[in-house]
Amino acid sequence: MSNIKLGITLYSFTKEYVREELSLEDCIRKCAELGVDGYEIVATQMISSYPYISDDFLTKIKGYEYKYGVKPISYGANTDRGKLHDRDLNDSELINDTIRDIRNAHNLGCKVVRAQYLLSPENLLRIAPYAEEYGVKVGIEIHNPETPSTPIMQRYFEVIEKSGSKYIGFVPDFGCFATRPNIESYEGALKDGADKNVLDYAVSLKRKNVPLQEAEKLLREISADPVVMNSFYSMYGYLTFYNEPDLEGLKKILPYCFHFHGKFHCITEDGKELSIPYKDILTTIYNSDYSGYIVSEYEGHNNQERGLVDYDSVEAVRLHLKMERNILEELEKNNLAGR
Amino acid sequence: MALEMRINFTNILCKGTLKNYYLQGQIEGFVFQVRLSYYRGHFLSAIDKFGLKIDDEAIPQKDILFCLNDKEFTVEELKNQSNEFWNILDPATIKVRKLGGLKPGNHKVTLELMLRCPYLPLPGSIREHHYAPINSCDEQFMELC
Repeated sequence: MSNIKLGITLYSFTKEYVREELSLEDCIRKCAELGVDGYEIVATQMISSYPYISDDFLTKIKGYEYKYGVKPISYGANTDRGKLHDRDLNDSELINDTIRDIRNAHNLGCKVVRAQYLLSPENLLRIAPYAEEYGVKVGIEIHNPETPSTPIMQRYFEVIEKSGSKYIGFVPDFGCFATRPNIESYEGALKDGADKNVLDYAVSLKRKNVPLQEAEKLLREISADPVVMNSFYSMYGYLTFYNEPDLEGLKKILPYCFHFHGKFHCITEDGKELSIPYKDILTTIYNSDYSGYIVSEYEGHNNQERGLVDYDSVEAVRLHLKMERNILEELEKNNLAGR
Repeated sequence: MALEMRINFTNILCKGTLKNYYLQGQIEGFVFQVRLSYYRGHFLSAIDKFGLKIDDEAIPQKDILFCLNDKEFTVEELKNQSNEFWNILDPATIKVRKLGGLKPGNHKVTLELMLRCPYLPLPGSIREHHYAPINSCDEQFMELC
């Protein structure tokens, strides 16, 4: 039986935080206002003493926890393999950085670390004993353009399954199940002057799974404008979409998932995510033994300013939580009725 | 494919921060502050390019200091600072040695600041250590305070 809890990643408030309109404390207070009890903190964004947890910072976080009843439940780590100027980090360096992130998460009281795919399956296996030592689960984020079934994630799956460790696994991002271009890539491109016919043609190339190089050539042949090309690269890359969401792949890895990123870009007036099939994804998770958080992750930081939506980040997260709660309540109702 | 990221929420060149600085009663140069244009901080070793022009004249690298966390680095030293973290909320201070400083009034400040995104390998690249570039460049007229 699943046990799904809703939380928020403070990354959702990126714009307000960077502009110093919301302090870290304000972001946590917003979580309390929105009715969640747990948040994810992106270490390289909001931990002022990064890459360490200073006594000062720890005291602040615990103070906010006491005040607002909201605690950090996930530590968003970055696997900065390219941070040195002349070479990639080697395995030993990647492992030591990850162990430090595990220690930091443990100090903050987080049970989960979000790591990134640059860590490597072999290194994930090597840090498993440390994860267990500190009681922190380390999950590799499955983010666009990856899905649970892409080759890299399959390699992680094999290693995780074979290890028998309960402390290494996955953090899928809902965005990897997108079934249409998101609002920035489509409606945003139109607003920026993209030719609709050419843009629709670019979308159709992705839907037909035309390989990137070939699609690029076809678009250049018809002199697609720079706005369309920009959108095209997004649609084939970090903001990609698939005709069918990889829910079968999700089912397979669910026993190894301990955290989810509830990615969203736009909640429509009828309470749906514009490009991500939330009902289908939540149904799949609901019908599993998943126990953990889904943290709302708003990615449309500039959407209001661009005139694509008429709500700010906080309101966006409120709408997202409302959508999730409605879907989960419906699933619970049907579940009870079915008995 | 020229994939370059630009994620910008605040001014890069900080308004109202261009000033001459003194030592023993003499103006030795000028300073101004810079905010990193991104959503998260970076280690200084992620900086790939740093260049400065004032009123269209290039400033020699030997006269520039990048100041952060109570430390001062030459442009050449930046690439080795893999333990020095530039927090997204913290302005860095750029200190330029120029005896006599800047004249009062507006000055065109052209900052070239490119970073490497250390967790995003460039899609489609076969080279090792090849990452998506982050554009944190800016050009503004700044008034001497």
